[in-house]
Amino acid sequence: MEATQAPRTVGRLAQWAAASADGPARDGGYFDAYAAVGLLAVVGVLFVTVAFTANRLMRPVVPTPEKLLAYECGVDPVGEGWAQTHIRYYVYAFLYVIFAVDAIYLFPWATVFAAPGYGAGTLVEMFVFIGFLAVGLLYAWKKGVLAWT
Amino acid sequence: MPLPSLPATPTPGQPAMTETLSLTDLAVSHAGALIQSVDWTAIAPPLVAAVAALAVLVADLFVPARRKQLLGWGTVAALALALLALVPLRHGDRATFCLKTVAGTTDNAGCSYVADHFALVFQLIALGGALLTALLSLHTVDEERLPGGEYWFLLLSSAAGAALLPASRDLATLVVALETVSLPAFALVGLRRDRLGGEAALKFFLSSVTATAVMLLGVGFLYAAGGTLHLTALADGLDRAPAQLRHLAEAGAALTLVGFAFKVAAVPFHFWLPDTYTGAPVPVAAYLSVVSKAAGLAGIALVTTLALRPYAPTWGLLLAVLAAATMTAGNTAALRQRPDAPRGAVRLLAWSSVAQAGYLLVPLAAAGYGHSGSSPLGATAAYALVYAVVNLGAFAVVAAVGRTAPGNRLDDYRGLFSRRPGAALALAFALLCLAGLPPGVVGVFAKVVVFRAAIDGGLGWLAVVMAANVVVALYYYLAWTARLFAPAPAPEAGAEGAAARPPRTPAPLAAAVALTAAAAVVLSAAPQLVLRVVDAALF
Repeated sequence: MEATQAPRTVGRLAQWAAASADGPARDGGYFDAYAAVGLLAVVGVLFVTVAFTANRLMRPVVPTPEKLLAYECGVDPVGEGWAQTHIRYYVYAFLYVIFAVDAIYLFPWATVFAAPGYGAGTLVEMFVFIGFLAVGLLYAWKKGVLAWT
Repeated sequence: MPLPSLPATPTPGQPAMTETLSLTDLAVSHAGALIQSVDWTAIAPPLVAAVAALAVLVADLFVPARRKQLLGWGTVAALALALLALVPLRHGDRATFCLKTVAGTTDNAGCSYVADHFALVFQLIALGGALLTALLSLHTVDEERLPGGEYWFLLLSSAAGAALLPASRDLATLVVALETVSLPAFALVGLRRDRLGGEAALKFFLSSVTATAVMLLGVGFLYAAGGTLHLTALADGLDRAPAQLRHLAEAGAALTLVGFAFKVAAVPFHFWLPDTYTGAPVPVAAYLSVVSKAAGLAGIALVTTLALRPYAPTWGLLLAVLAAATMTAGNTAALRQRPDAPRGAVRLLAWSSVAQAGYLLVPLAAAGYGHSGSSPLGATAAYALVYAVVNLGAFAVVAAVGRTAPGNRLDDYRGLFSRRPGAALALAFALLCLAGLPPGVVGVFAKVVVFRAAIDGGLGWLAVVMAANVVVALYYYLAWTARLFAPAPAPEAGAEGAAARPPRTPAPLAAAVALTAAAAVVLSAAPQLVLRVVDAALF
């Protein structure tokens, strides 16, 4: 029931927002259209505040040491809650970025490079770009970054 | 492809003609229709630097450790080549990366890269400054054990950005170029890897990244309001912007200017500068004070005079106030430098560069006040040229003295004339030029040009503030100059005697000192070499 109601509510909200955006905008207040967004934020904050306050007022409070433990899937927690990631992973993050950027530019290129009007020049340009990235990889490799220590 | 589907033709004369026709069709409508033709000569100066950066990085991987000196000399050669690439552009009429659809293509409104005289002057500053920095750093890289390949790669990358920036004519290229200047500079500052260097790099990084974020937001607003990124077209777009977007456009303009103000370290966005300069290796500080600052200044000039033309009175006043605050704060802080503080020499030059940035902003402010006659931007370009030469000269001597006196306190310069007359004379001349006193004639002329721009623009009060500042600045420049010629402190000379003869200055460093000193003297003898920029039409 809730699932079917939610879209309808959103739809009504959007209608109302559109209506309210239409009105004030004509009066010259461009940013008045954002009143709906502000109202939504206020409603959200109120909802969370009311829910948590009601929860606190209505629940019984009987603490025991077991209850105060961090909850870890029902098993007793092992060790500290503080875990560190090894600093050497940052290199892999950098290398990942190289390939991610590579892919971002390759996708749109791949959709057009065969289209009429592009031709060999486009092909060469992309390989020049990949060549730049390859230099980065070459640098990392020669500096011994790729070997696991 | 149309060629295989050609209809078979019966007559013998016909086929050749049809084929020719369809081939020309192909040539006109397809090949190169969507790919821009690039004017490689026009973009050669930044391109040479960028390609050399990549070449140095790759070469570093394969050159044995004892031959690393070659990388530095390669960098010097590449920067000299990039400077030579400016020569064929001297007529200032090249433009490339043009958009045909932008209105008003008779001038270069739709072009992203324009090599006009404004661009050429600032490219000369950027590449020449980088070349002198490279000469200054040749011994630093060896003596301070900086990683060679990375150092030269970063220097060349930053120089490529600085050469690209003054020629870029759309906001996207401008921001990318500015980041290409800054990002390698963070690493250059922190390359020494001691505590001071780390602090310097972190302060520089944080303030600069904040500036970039603010500026990007401003650029976004301007794009939203003006509907284009090309600077000249943006001015028209802002003129025609609907009334409800007016506030958005004004906020965008203000945010963009704040971002650039961070980059040139205009007060109140200057707090990172002294610590960054003192923590960085001396050549890098020299580079930041000249090339990085000139790049930021060129950016302000382009954005204000081209893109924000509709808001001229507003940013004119804003820049005037910034200029007054910057020169006053810089000079006041420079006055308060104690002569016995460690690294006092670099710190004094750092504050002096803040003050000089204030003078450099004055003609830009005047440009906002509907200046009649020649463009006041010429005054900024001329002043920037003079400032680049003499400031690099001062830094070169400071680097030379810093080799024997690691503290580099102002007191270490006492009696420099008796120990190293050449270096002392070069530093004295550079300081007099910075102060604007004869015999540093070119410094006087540069100041006069800036004064004239302010008065022509109707900014009398700013001219008065600047005059007061120039007089105040005389004190610390002259105090330093006098220290050079004072008798050397007796106890030190007695204790160390002849054994404490300073080691020979490395040849590249001596060359840098000689080159800047010679340039300053030549310009003082023939200031028209620089001052012709003032009256030329830059755009």
